[in-house]
Amino acid sequence: MKWYFSDSAPIYAQLIRQIKVGIVTGAFPPGERLPSVRDLATEAGVNPNTMQRAFAELERDGLVYSQRTAGRFVTEDRAMIEQTKKGLAECHIKQFLESMDQLGFQRDEVISLLWQETGKEGITDGGSGM
Amino acid sequence: MAVLECKNLTKQYGHVTALEDVSFSIEPGRIVGLLGPNGSGKTTLIKLANGLLTPTSGELTICNAAPGKETHAIVSYLPERTSIPLWMTATQLLDFYQDFYKDFRRDAAEEMLAHLNIPAKQRIKQMSKGTREKVQLIVTMSRAAQLYLLDEPIGGVDPATRDYILSTIIGNYNPEAAVVISTHLISDVEKVLDEVIFINQGHVVLQSSVDEIREEKGMSVDALFREVFKC
Amino acid sequence: MLRKLMKHEFRATGRIMLPLFLILLVTSVGANFSTRGLLETDNKFLDVLGVLLVMAFAIAIVGVCVMSMVVMVQRFYKNLLQDEGYVMMTLPVSVHQHIWSKLIVSAVWFALTLVVVCLACFIMAFDVGFVHQIAAGFRELFQEICRNLSAYYAINGTAVIVEFLVMCFVGCCAMCLQFYAALAIGHSRPNHKMAWSVLSFFAIQFIMQFLGGMGIVLLDESWFHHLLLGWTDNISGMASVHLGMVAMILGEVVVGAIFYVLTTWFLKKRLNLE
Repeated sequence: MKWYFSDSAPIYAQLIRQIKVGIVTGAFPPGERLPSVRDLATEAGVNPNTMQRAFAELERDGLVYSQRTAGRFVTEDRAMIEQTKKGLAECHIKQFLESMDQLGFQRDEVISLLWQETGKEGITDGGSGM
Repeated sequence: MAVLECKNLTKQYGHVTALEDVSFSIEPGRIVGLLGPNGSGKTTLIKLANGLLTPTSGELTICNAAPGKETHAIVSYLPERTSIPLWMTATQLLDFYQDFYKDFRRDAAEEMLAHLNIPAKQRIKQMSKGTREKVQLIVTMSRAAQLYLLDEPIGGVDPATRDYILSTIIGNYNPEAAVVISTHLISDVEKVLDEVIFINQGHVVLQSSVDEIREEKGMSVDALFREVFKC
Repeated sequence: MLRKLMKHEFRATGRIMLPLFLILLVTSVGANFSTRGLLETDNKFLDVLGVLLVMAFAIAIVGVCVMSMVVMVQRFYKNLLQDEGYVMMTLPVSVHQHIWSKLIVSAVWFALTLVVVCLACFIMAFDVGFVHQIAAGFRELFQEICRNLSAYYAINGTAVIVEFLVMCFVGCCAMCLQFYAALAIGHSRPNHKMAWSVLSFFAIQFIMQFLGGMGIVLLDESWFHHLLLGWTDNISGMASVHLGMVAMILGEVVVGAIFYVLTTWFLKKRLNLE
């Protein structure tokens, strides 16, 4: 898994987001044991305390759970994973709409632009879909 | 209990004041960046913590003890310049560290030497400047110390080695131990740090956690540093 | 820890001193060959070679003696006051242990230098005709002495020689400590450390001589002198020789101790590595 960090947001928040993406995309499959905090911190090149904090937050949300001896696991609750996926999508959409607002597009213009773009994509891709 | 604590610490060289009324403490399990421009007093502070200098006034303690023989046993120090005896081979240097430090993990040192392809039988004198720095870092990080004081650990090495050094520091993480990294290359170390201490002209201007800075100021530590120390 | 410090100190100095000793012994063998025959041949080439070998031997003796002092002083300077000082002064050992390890190892090398120089002289003289004759002469002289004089002189003579050797040895150590103190003082300065060290050395030398001179002047007038004068009537000449020797040794020990205190104080409180 590749890790990217931007300058503006707190690092633990960026970690939470990227671990969520990992869970949603199946890089960390449901019910699967997660690598140790130290290993993940080393892989991401971040402070282990920060990684710990990210996991604590994810645990509070119920997306991961820890068993005292065995370690930390991804939830098996697929509905919750689906929920997380939606949440991430909403985040992206919000950001996207904010940028469009900045550029001065009205909502209906944005939607028609999206139609245009996806329509084009549909043609070039041969409609392979998701 | 604080691993490193300074109370109203002042150090003067003759009439030049290098540190003035510095107070802060560092708790175990923290990786702390000591950040400041050149000549701000970072090295003076680290030397004081190693007993290489004596304070003009105020106090500096390591696990409640003044720097000396006892604290040297629990502090692992990487000086800003290469200071390992050059006539030794890497193996002889490991012997040396093993003799003097009970917490020296020889297997870890040997593994790191092998990982960085440093020949153990070669004299340190014959190694390149960068390799010498790596060897010194390896012996410093191979100790299971309570406090690591790393003075510019990534200053003179290539980016790949820089990453290796930082991952070694993370991989070596121990909740009982604290790490102090002094550097001016902030963007490289920012992700690794819990806390930062900004130091300027002998004064501590800020002590804060990295995520607090990002949350409150909405900018990276690197950006904040550039703002605080704008010329 | 002192033992470990000394072990590494021997390692570090041995790699210079042992080859030097080897060179000295090799040149002594050369000088031996030379005196046994080369110098008396008619062959010009061998003649010159012989002279060169003897000269090499003489230079090697002087060289080893000078080098043993230089190495010991340089070791202190490089190991504790230069870059290596960062590693050495942060070891979990005390400043006292550092200085003792350096001093003991230096003392051992001084003693070994003496032994090796003697050994080299023996090798040089081994089985050489005229040396034999000299030796025989000495033996006769010694036997003569033994025959004519009592055991009293033999014992006292040996004692004086031992006292003399001890004095030289302690003197070397005190000299070493004087260098240490001067370097420690000089390197507490922020700049021109070496110049300050040299200056401190001569300043110490001057102060010592001044104090020594003052001491003699003061003693001359004091009760102590009268006490000594009172004694000399009662004790023999030999006893006063011993007394003088022991006094000189004690004096050197006191001077050495002062240098030691100076060195440790400056290394502890005024250390200022670059």
